[in-house]
Amino acid sequence: MTTAPVIHLHELRKTYTIHKREAGTRAALRSVFHRETRDIHAVDGISFDLEQGEIVGFLGPNGAGKTTTLKMLSGLLYPTGGAVSVLGYEPFRRENAYLRQIALVMGQRNQLNWDIPAVDSYEVNRAIYEIPEAQFRATLDELIDLLDLADLITKPVRNLSLGERMRVEIAGVLLHRPKILFLDEPTIGLDVTAQRRIRDFIAEYNHRYNATVLLTSHYMADVEALCRRVIVIHHGQLLFDGALATLVERFSPHKTVIVDFAERVALSAEMDCYGSVVKRTPDQVVLSIPKAAVAATTSHLLADLPVSDLTIEDPSIEAVIEQVFNANN
Amino acid sequence: MRRYLTLFSTFLRLSVLGELEYRANFWVQILESILSLTVAVGGIIIVFDHTATLGDWSANQLLALVGVYIMIGGVITFAIDPSMQRFMQDVQKGTFDFVLTKPVDAQFMASTRQFQLWKLIDVVLGLAIIGWALWRMQAQITILQIVLAALLLGIGMVIVYSFWMILGTMAFWMIRVDNMFQIFNAMFVAGRWPVNIYPTGLRAVLTFVVPIAFAVTVPAEALIGRITPTTFALAFGVGIGLFVVARLFWRYGIRSYSGASA
Repeated sequence: MTTAPVIHLHELRKTYTIHKREAGTRAALRSVFHRETRDIHAVDGISFDLEQGEIVGFLGPNGAGKTTTLKMLSGLLYPTGGAVSVLGYEPFRRENAYLRQIALVMGQRNQLNWDIPAVDSYEVNRAIYEIPEAQFRATLDELIDLLDLADLITKPVRNLSLGERMRVEIAGVLLHRPKILFLDEPTIGLDVTAQRRIRDFIAEYNHRYNATVLLTSHYMADVEALCRRVIVIHHGQLLFDGALATLVERFSPHKTVIVDFAERVALSAEMDCYGSVVKRTPDQVVLSIPKAAVAATTSHLLADLPVSDLTIEDPSIEAVIEQVFNANN
Repeated sequence: MRRYLTLFSTFLRLSVLGELEYRANFWVQILESILSLTVAVGGIIIVFDHTATLGDWSANQLLALVGVYIMIGGVITFAIDPSMQRFMQDVQKGTFDFVLTKPVDAQFMASTRQFQLWKLIDVVLGLAIIGWALWRMQAQITILQIVLAALLLGIGMVIVYSFWMILGTMAFWMIRVDNMFQIFNAMFVAGRWPVNIYPTGLRAVLTFVVPIAFAVTVPAEALIGRITPTTFALAFGVGIGLFVVARLFWRYGIRSYSGASA
């Protein structure tokens, strides 16, 4: 049985018209009376589908169009062209029946009242989503348990640390048990422990409620831990849509070979013949070698040099992503 | 409908909780209210030292007007201004997106989210002054007069709210509109005196451009029992009209904010 995708984008486009202005006072004065405009194609024909229950990493450098796409999905922006539908709704109509089923988290922006404890602010969500008392209690207890919030929600939000604040924010956003989560940089600025906590929680929420999650993050650890599938965009266009493993294979035709020497090898010794040298010390050389040549090159290395240890690694996801973006600039 | 009542009372309760965190504000507000009362009543005393009537208002009637002025000012700073400030902040910081992604009327949420509890002192003070003025006049107040005045006070609040909403909506394009509220505040001070003592041009501005006449003078006239049916109908019409205009303008603003109207 094939089910219809819960999120469907077809050739989605968003063009902003911005005022262009040259530097300097004279230009600034002129622009008061006469403004020249320029079109920015923030999202330039993106298509993809998401099935229910998927967690998909939405990647791209700053300004690639990720946030603009998320805003169109959550009904904040009206598309310039193309089609978008989520759960059968057109988001930009902002129908209550649709908005009740989604949640938007923006890591850099807070929505809880600063001066009062989060548990009081949650009452606003209860009123907005008309959550029945019993369900509200049950969900809150569950979130308190999963995110370890018991001591946090009774303190004024301004007294919480950044990581604690994010946890109470996320709990607030999920009180109505949304089916679709749009998470824009949910772990930004958090320390490693706090990041892992949020990450584990997202996985658990997805698992319990079969919720669909579209997540942007600059931390590859988030993506590696949560997303089997990634969608990469750049300059408003789709670069890649598929398994994380395939991304690495496709965009990184090289492997990293680390060779530790049993005895010191003079820095003058020729190494370029094996592959491109990434790092070099008298005790170690790190080489980047085309995949096809890895087997032959390693046997040469073992034969030619006093090797004590040799490891072959895939490059880090960060390195691959960087390579993808650089190649398309 | 019930949902909006619950939401309204929740916002009110949370604002109260928030302000109880800063209790010093209570004393500052008491001081501020006493000062503004002194200035307003002092003004009347000075003027009526030189003359028996101002325009066609007696001292006690003017006192009733001052009561209305302080009360409406209190309503603005208690209920209208705080939400507007929050709304403008939200647009500036981008957190207005959180309002738009909620399954609730955005205008309702934007205009009821924040209250400044202690400003209620001005509302109470205004009501007390109105009572005092009526007592001094020893006037025969009919039930009809009280109902009319209450109705017109309500309309006055709707008019002020709609006017602020229209100014606030401009934040969608201009981001910062604080200056416009400053202009309104500066003009609102003129409402301390009945608008008919001002020269024709200024009176027209205070009636139709910045509707202070309808917010303060007209309800005060109803209180002292000299409102004409025409004025009543006019206030009622302006109230409804301005409310509808504010609503339409808000919706246009939202469409422009999301890029749907371009």
